[in-house]
Amino acid sequence: MNDTFNEPFPLAYGTYEDAVKLLNKPGKKVVAEFSVNWEMIKIYCSMVEDGNASYWDEAYANKQWGGIVAPSGLLLTWPMALQWHPHKEREHYFIAMKIPLPGDTLINVATDTEFHRHLYLGDRVSVVDELINVSEEKKTRLGVGHFLTTKAQFFNQREQLIAEQTNSLFRYYVVEGES
Amino acid sequence: MSCTIAVKYWNEISEGDSVTPITMDVPFERVILDAAATQDYFPGHHNPAYARHQGQKEIYLNTMAIEGFIDRVATDWAGPHTFIRKRQMQMRSSIYAGDTLKGEGTVEKCYENDGRNLVDIRINISTESGLCVPAALTLELPADRPS
Repeated sequence: MNDTFNEPFPLAYGTYEDAVKLLNKPGKKVVAEFSVNWEMIKIYCSMVEDGNASYWDEAYANKQWGGIVAPSGLLLTWPMALQWHPHKEREHYFIAMKIPLPGDTLINVATDTEFHRHLYLGDRVSVVDELINVSEEKKTRLGVGHFLTTKAQFFNQREQLIAEQTNSLFRYYVVEGES
Repeated sequence: MSCTIAVKYWNEISEGDSVTPITMDVPFERVILDAAATQDYFPGHHNPAYARHQGQKEIYLNTMAIEGFIDRVATDWAGPHTFIRKRQMQMRSSIYAGDTLKGEGTVEKCYENDGRNLVDIRINISTESGLCVPAALTLELPADRPS
Protein backbone atom coordinates (compact mmCIF):
# COMPACT_ATOMS: atom_id res chain seq x y z
CA MET A 1 0.00 0.00 0.00
CA ASN A 2 1.25 3.46 -0.87
CA ASP A 3 1.83 5.12 2.50
CA THR A 4 1.05 8.67 1.39
CA PHE A 5 -2.06 10.78 1.28
CA ASN A 6 -3.06 13.02 -1.59
CA GLU A 7 -3.25 16.37 0.16
CA PRO A 8 -3.22 17.68 3.71
CA PHE A 9 -6.49 18.46 5.44
CA PRO A 10 -7.24 22.12 4.75
CA LEU A 11 -6.62 24.20 7.87
CA ALA A 12 -5.75 27.84 8.48
CA TYR A 13 -2.08 28.37 9.29
CA GLY A 14 -0.48 31.03 11.44
CA THR A 15 1.03 31.70 14.82
CA TYR A 16 -0.23 31.44 18.38
CA GLU A 17 -0.48 35.24 18.40
CA ASP A 18 -2.71 35.09 15.30
CA ALA A 19 -4.97 32.61 17.07
CA VAL A 20 -5.26 34.70 20.23
CA LYS A 21 -6.62 37.58 18.14
CA LEU A 22 -9.65 35.42 17.28
CA LEU A 23 -10.65 34.72 20.88
CA ASN A 24 -14.27 35.44 21.81
CA LYS A 25 -15.31 36.48 18.32
CA PRO A 26 -18.33 34.42 17.22
CA GLY A 27 -18.21 33.12 13.67
CA LYS A 28 -21.05 33.63 11.22
CA LYS A 29 -24.17 31.57 11.78
CA VAL A 30 -24.22 28.52 9.51
CA VAL A 31 -27.55 27.07 8.36
CA ALA A 32 -27.61 23.37 7.52
CA GLU A 33 -27.76 22.47 3.84
CA PHE A 34 -30.40 19.83 4.47
CA SER A 35 -33.08 19.24 7.07
CA VAL A 36 -33.21 16.55 9.76
CA ASN A 37 -34.26 13.42 7.91
CA TRP A 38 -35.14 9.87 8.78
CA GLU A 39 -32.79 8.35 6.20
CA MET A 40 -29.67 9.81 7.85
CA ILE A 41 -31.00 8.94 11.30
CA LYS A 42 -31.37 5.29 10.25
CA ILE A 43 -27.90 5.16 8.70
CA TYR A 44 -26.36 6.61 11.88
CA CYS A 45 -28.31 4.26 14.14
CA SER A 46 -27.30 1.28 12.03
CA MET A 47 -23.66 2.36 12.43
CA VAL A 48 -23.87 2.15 16.24
CA GLU A 49 -26.53 -0.61 16.21
CA ASP A 50 -28.95 1.54 18.19
CA GLY A 51 -32.48 0.09 18.10
CA ASN A 52 -34.01 2.89 20.20
CA ALA A 53 -37.71 3.05 19.24
CA SER A 54 -37.57 6.87 19.35
CA TYR A 55 -35.57 6.69 16.10
CA TRP A 56 -37.19 3.72 14.37
CA ASP A 57 -40.82 3.30 15.48
CA GLU A 58 -43.14 6.08 14.32
CA ALA A 59 -46.06 5.00 16.52
CA TYR A 60 -43.87 4.88 19.63
CA ALA A 61 -42.09 8.17 18.83
CA ASN A 62 -45.37 9.96 18.13
CA LYS A 63 -46.73 8.89 21.48
CA GLN A 64 -43.56 9.56 23.47
CA TRP A 65 -42.13 12.68 21.82
CA GLY A 66 -44.64 13.87 19.23
CA GLY A 67 -42.65 12.44 16.32
CA ILE A 68 -39.44 10.71 15.28
CA VAL A 69 -36.50 12.49 16.93
CA ALA A 70 -32.86 12.70 15.94
CA PRO A 71 -30.19 10.94 18.01
CA SER A 72 -28.20 13.43 20.09
CA GLY A 73 -24.96 12.17 18.57
CA LEU A 74 -26.00 13.42 15.12
CA LEU A 75 -26.06 17.04 16.29
CA LEU A 76 -22.76 17.99 14.63
CA THR A 77 -23.66 16.27 11.39
CA TRP A 78 -26.64 18.37 10.33
CA PRO A 79 -24.63 21.55 9.53
CA MET A 80 -21.71 19.69 7.89
CA ALA A 81 -20.78 21.16 4.51
CA LEU A 82 -21.30 19.01 1.43
CA GLN A 83 -18.13 17.63 -0.15
CA TRP A 84 -18.97 19.58 -3.29
CA HIS A 85 -21.59 22.17 -4.20
CA PRO A 86 -22.15 23.81 -7.60
CA HIS A 87 -22.42 27.32 -6.15
CA LYS A 88 -20.37 27.32 -2.95
CA GLU A 89 -16.78 26.80 -1.96
CA ARG A 90 -16.45 24.01 0.59
CA GLU A 91 -15.99 25.55 3.99
CA HIS A 92 -15.68 24.06 7.46
CA TYR A 93 -18.36 25.27 9.78
CA PHE A 94 -16.28 24.46 12.89
CA ILE A 95 -14.42 27.61 13.80
CA ALA A 96 -11.68 25.38 15.23
CA MET A 97 -10.64 24.48 11.67
CA LYS A 98 -10.24 28.16 10.77
CA ILE A 99 -7.94 29.16 13.63
CA PRO A 100 -4.47 30.03 12.31
CA LEU A 101 -1.85 27.87 14.08
CA PRO A 102 1.28 25.94 13.08
CA GLY A 103 -0.11 22.39 13.51
CA ASP A 104 -1.00 20.49 10.34
CA THR A 105 -3.45 18.11 11.99
CA LEU A 106 -5.76 17.79 14.97
CA ILE A 107 -7.45 15.36 17.32
CA ASN A 108 -10.53 15.86 19.47
CA VAL A 109 -9.90 15.81 23.23
CA ALA A 110 -13.15 16.46 25.09
CA THR A 111 -16.76 17.30 24.31
CA ASP A 112 -19.39 18.51 26.76
CA THR A 113 -22.95 18.95 25.48
CA GLU A 114 -26.11 20.11 27.18
CA PHE A 115 -29.35 19.34 25.37
CA HIS A 116 -32.42 21.53 25.75
CA ARG A 117 -34.88 19.98 23.30
CA HIS A 118 -35.14 17.33 20.61
CA LEU A 119 -34.64 17.79 16.90
CA TYR A 120 -37.53 16.44 14.80
CA LEU A 121 -37.83 15.34 11.18
CA GLY A 122 -37.93 18.43 8.96
CA ASP A 123 -36.12 20.70 11.41
CA ARG A 124 -33.34 22.84 9.97
CA VAL A 125 -30.34 23.31 12.24
CA SER A 126 -28.20 26.42 12.48
CA VAL A 127 -25.05 26.82 14.52
CA VAL A 128 -22.79 29.59 15.71
CA ASP A 129 -19.50 28.97 17.48
CA GLU A 130 -16.55 30.87 18.88
CA LEU A 131 -13.05 30.24 20.17
CA ILE A 132 -12.97 30.70 23.94
CA ASN A 133 -9.48 29.47 24.78
CA VAL A 134 -6.18 28.67 23.10
CA SER A 135 -3.28 27.29 25.08
CA GLU A 136 0.33 28.16 24.74
CA GLU A 137 2.44 25.51 22.98
CA LYS A 138 2.29 22.09 24.66
CA LYS A 139 4.02 18.80 23.98
CA THR A 140 2.02 15.57 24.23
CA ARG A 141 2.63 11.96 23.23
CA LEU A 142 1.16 12.80 19.79
CA GLY A 143 3.14 15.92 19.04
CA VAL A 144 3.60 19.62 19.67
CA GLY A 145 0.76 22.09 19.41
CA HIS A 146 -2.03 24.04 21.03
CA PHE A 147 -5.27 23.07 22.77
CA LEU A 148 -8.28 24.94 21.41
CA THR A 149 -11.57 25.26 23.25
CA THR A 150 -14.66 26.34 21.36
CA LYS A 151 -18.25 26.92 22.38
CA ALA A 152 -21.17 26.33 19.99
CA GLN A 153 -24.90 26.92 20.15
CA PHE A 154 -27.27 24.93 17.95
CA PHE A 155 -30.76 26.18 17.03
CA ASN A 156 -33.75 24.90 15.08
CA GLN A 157 -35.53 26.92 12.38
CA ARG A 158 -37.70 28.57 15.06
CA GLU A 159 -34.54 29.89 16.74
CA GLN A 160 -35.14 27.62 19.70
CA LEU A 161 -31.92 26.56 21.42
CA ILE A 162 -31.38 22.84 20.84
CA ALA A 163 -28.01 22.33 22.50
CA GLU A 164 -24.86 24.03 23.73
CA GLN A 165 -21.50 22.40 23.30
CA THR A 166 -18.01 23.09 24.59
CA ASN A 167 -15.30 21.25 22.69
CA SER A 168 -11.56 20.91 23.18
CA LEU A 169 -9.16 19.66 20.54
CA PHE A 170 -5.41 19.47 20.09
CA ARG A 171 -4.02 21.14 16.97
CA TYR A 172 -0.52 19.78 16.50
CA TYR A 173 2.30 18.57 14.31
CA VAL A 174 4.27 15.38 14.77
CA VAL A 175 7.89 16.01 15.66
CA GLU A 176 10.17 14.29 13.16
CA GLY A 177 11.69 11.13 14.64
CA GLU A 178 9.24 10.97 17.54
CA SER A 179 6.17 9.51 15.81
CA MET B 1 -34.27 -9.25 13.98
CA SER B 2 -36.21 -8.15 17.04
CA CYS B 3 -34.77 -6.07 19.86
CA THR B 4 -35.69 -6.40 23.51
CA ILE B 5 -35.26 -3.02 25.16
CA ALA B 6 -35.53 -2.52 28.89
CA VAL B 7 -37.56 0.38 30.24
CA LYS B 8 -36.69 1.91 33.60
CA TYR B 9 -38.45 4.57 35.63
CA TRP B 10 -36.71 7.09 37.83
CA ASN B 11 -38.09 5.73 41.10
CA GLU B 12 -36.82 2.24 40.21
CA ILE B 13 -33.18 3.36 39.96
CA SER B 14 -30.74 3.60 42.86
CA GLU B 15 -27.26 4.98 43.27
CA GLY B 16 -24.72 2.23 42.67
CA ASP B 17 -26.88 0.37 40.14
CA SER B 18 -24.94 -1.09 37.23
CA VAL B 19 -25.64 0.03 33.68
CA THR B 20 -25.87 -3.07 31.49
CA PRO B 21 -22.60 -3.53 29.52
CA ILE B 22 -22.62 -3.61 25.72
CA THR B 23 -19.89 -4.70 23.32
CA MET B 24 -19.54 -3.88 19.63
CA ASP B 25 -16.88 -4.83 17.08
CA VAL B 26 -15.27 -2.05 15.07
CA PRO B 27 -14.23 -3.52 11.71
CA PHE B 28 -12.90 -1.17 8.99
CA GLU B 29 -16.39 -1.21 7.49
CA ARG B 30 -17.86 0.45 10.59
CA VAL B 31 -15.21 3.21 10.61
CA ILE B 32 -15.98 3.98 6.97
CA LEU B 33 -19.73 3.83 7.66
CA ASP B 34 -19.07 6.26 10.52
CA ALA B 35 -17.49 8.82 8.16
CA ALA B 36 -20.41 8.49 5.74
CA ALA B 37 -23.16 8.45 8.37
CA THR B 38 -21.85 11.55 10.13
CA GLN B 39 -20.62 13.35 6.98
CA ASP B 40 -17.28 13.71 8.73
CA TYR B 41 -14.60 13.11 6.12
CA PHE B 42 -11.67 14.18 8.24
CA PRO B 43 -9.02 11.87 6.73
CA GLY B 44 -8.03 10.26 10.05
CA HIS B 45 -11.38 8.44 9.81
CA HIS B 46 -10.89 6.94 6.34
CA ASN B 47 -7.26 7.30 5.18
CA PRO B 48 -4.76 4.97 6.92
CA ALA B 49 -1.74 6.92 5.63
CA TYR B 50 -3.11 10.15 7.06
CA ALA B 51 -3.92 8.46 10.37
CA ARG B 52 -0.33 7.25 10.61
CA HIS B 53 0.90 10.76 9.75
CA GLN B 54 -1.04 11.90 12.83
CA GLY B 55 0.80 9.41 15.00
CA GLN B 56 -2.19 7.03 15.09
CA LYS B 57 -1.81 3.33 14.41
CA GLU B 58 -4.89 3.03 12.21
CA ILE B 59 -8.03 4.89 11.08
CA TYR B 60 -10.26 5.57 14.06
CA LEU B 61 -13.85 6.36 15.04
CA ASN B 62 -14.89 9.99 15.25
CA THR B 63 -16.46 11.71 18.23
CA MET B 64 -20.02 11.34 16.90
CA ALA B 65 -19.72 7.56 16.64
CA ILE B 66 -18.47 7.35 20.21
CA GLU B 67 -21.26 9.66 21.35
CA GLY B 68 -23.76 7.37 19.64
CA PHE B 69 -22.34 4.32 21.38
CA ILE B 70 -22.29 6.05 24.78
CA ASP B 71 -25.91 7.16 24.31
CA ARG B 72 -26.86 3.65 23.25
CA VAL B 73 -25.36 2.19 26.42
CA ALA B 74 -27.48 4.64 28.42
CA THR B 75 -30.76 4.24 26.54
CA ASP B 76 -30.56 0.46 26.00
CA TRP B 77 -30.39 0.30 29.80
CA ALA B 78 -32.88 3.06 30.75
CA GLY B 79 -35.21 2.80 27.76
CA PRO B 80 -36.27 4.86 24.75
CA HIS B 81 -38.23 7.28 26.97
CA THR B 82 -34.88 8.71 28.18
CA PHE B 83 -33.99 12.31 27.37
CA ILE B 84 -30.23 12.82 27.52
CA ARG B 85 -29.83 16.20 29.21
CA LYS B 86 -26.06 16.30 29.39
CA ARG B 87 -23.08 14.33 28.12
CA GLN B 88 -19.46 14.99 29.05
CA MET B 89 -16.74 12.86 27.47
CA GLN B 90 -12.96 12.79 27.28
CA MET B 91 -11.14 11.14 24.40
CA ARG B 92 -8.12 9.69 26.20
CA SER B 93 -7.14 7.37 23.38
CA SER B 94 -8.49 6.58 19.94
CA ILE B 95 -10.72 3.65 19.00
CA TYR B 96 -9.22 1.99 15.95
CA ALA B 97 -10.47 -0.19 13.15
CA GLY B 98 -10.01 -3.73 14.45
CA ASP B 99 -10.87 -2.89 18.07
CA THR B 100 -13.83 -4.18 20.07
CA LEU B 101 -15.72 -1.57 22.08
CA LYS B 102 -17.11 -2.20 25.51
CA GLY B 103 -19.40 0.24 27.29
CA GLU B 104 -20.31 -0.17 30.94
CA GLY B 105 -21.44 2.14 33.66
CA THR B 106 -22.77 2.91 37.12
CA VAL B 107 -25.48 5.13 38.55
CA GLU B 108 -23.92 7.94 40.57
CA LYS B 109 -26.89 10.03 41.65
CA CYS B 110 -30.70 10.17 41.45
CA TYR B 111 -32.27 13.57 42.15
CA GLU B 112 -34.94 16.09 41.23
CA ASN B 113 -34.19 19.50 39.78
CA ASP B 114 -36.64 22.07 38.37
CA GLY B 115 -39.38 19.44 38.40
CA ARG B 116 -37.24 17.01 36.39
CA ASN B 117 -36.39 13.49 37.49
CA LEU B 118 -32.70 13.11 36.79
CA VAL B 119 -30.13 10.34 36.97
CA ASP B 120 -26.37 10.92 36.72
CA ILE B 121 -24.49 7.95 35.33
CA ARG B 122 -20.84 7.33 34.56
CA ILE B 123 -20.07 5.31 31.44
CA ASN B 124 -16.62 4.03 30.52
CA ILE B 125 -15.83 3.07 26.93
CA SER B 126 -12.87 0.73 26.65
CA THR B 127 -11.16 -1.56 24.16
CA GLU B 128 -8.66 -4.37 24.48
CA SER B 129 -6.08 -1.63 25.16
CA GLY B 130 -7.94 -0.28 28.21
CA LEU B 131 -10.07 2.74 29.01
CA CYS B 132 -10.48 5.05 25.99
CA VAL B 133 -13.39 7.38 26.74
CA PRO B 134 -14.78 8.10 30.20
CA ALA B 135 -18.15 9.84 30.07
CA ALA B 136 -20.67 11.33 32.47
CA LEU B 137 -24.33 11.66 31.49
CA THR B 138 -27.40 13.21 33.03
CA LEU B 139 -30.58 11.41 32.01
CA GLU B 140 -34.15 12.64 32.44
CA LEU B 141 -36.71 9.89 32.98
CA PRO B 142 -40.41 9.61 33.78
CA ALA B 143 -40.85 9.28 37.54
CA ASP B 144 -43.20 6.32 37.88
CA ARG B 145 -44.25 3.31 35.88
CA PRO B 146 -47.79 3.90 34.59
CA SER B 147 -50.29 1.91 36.60
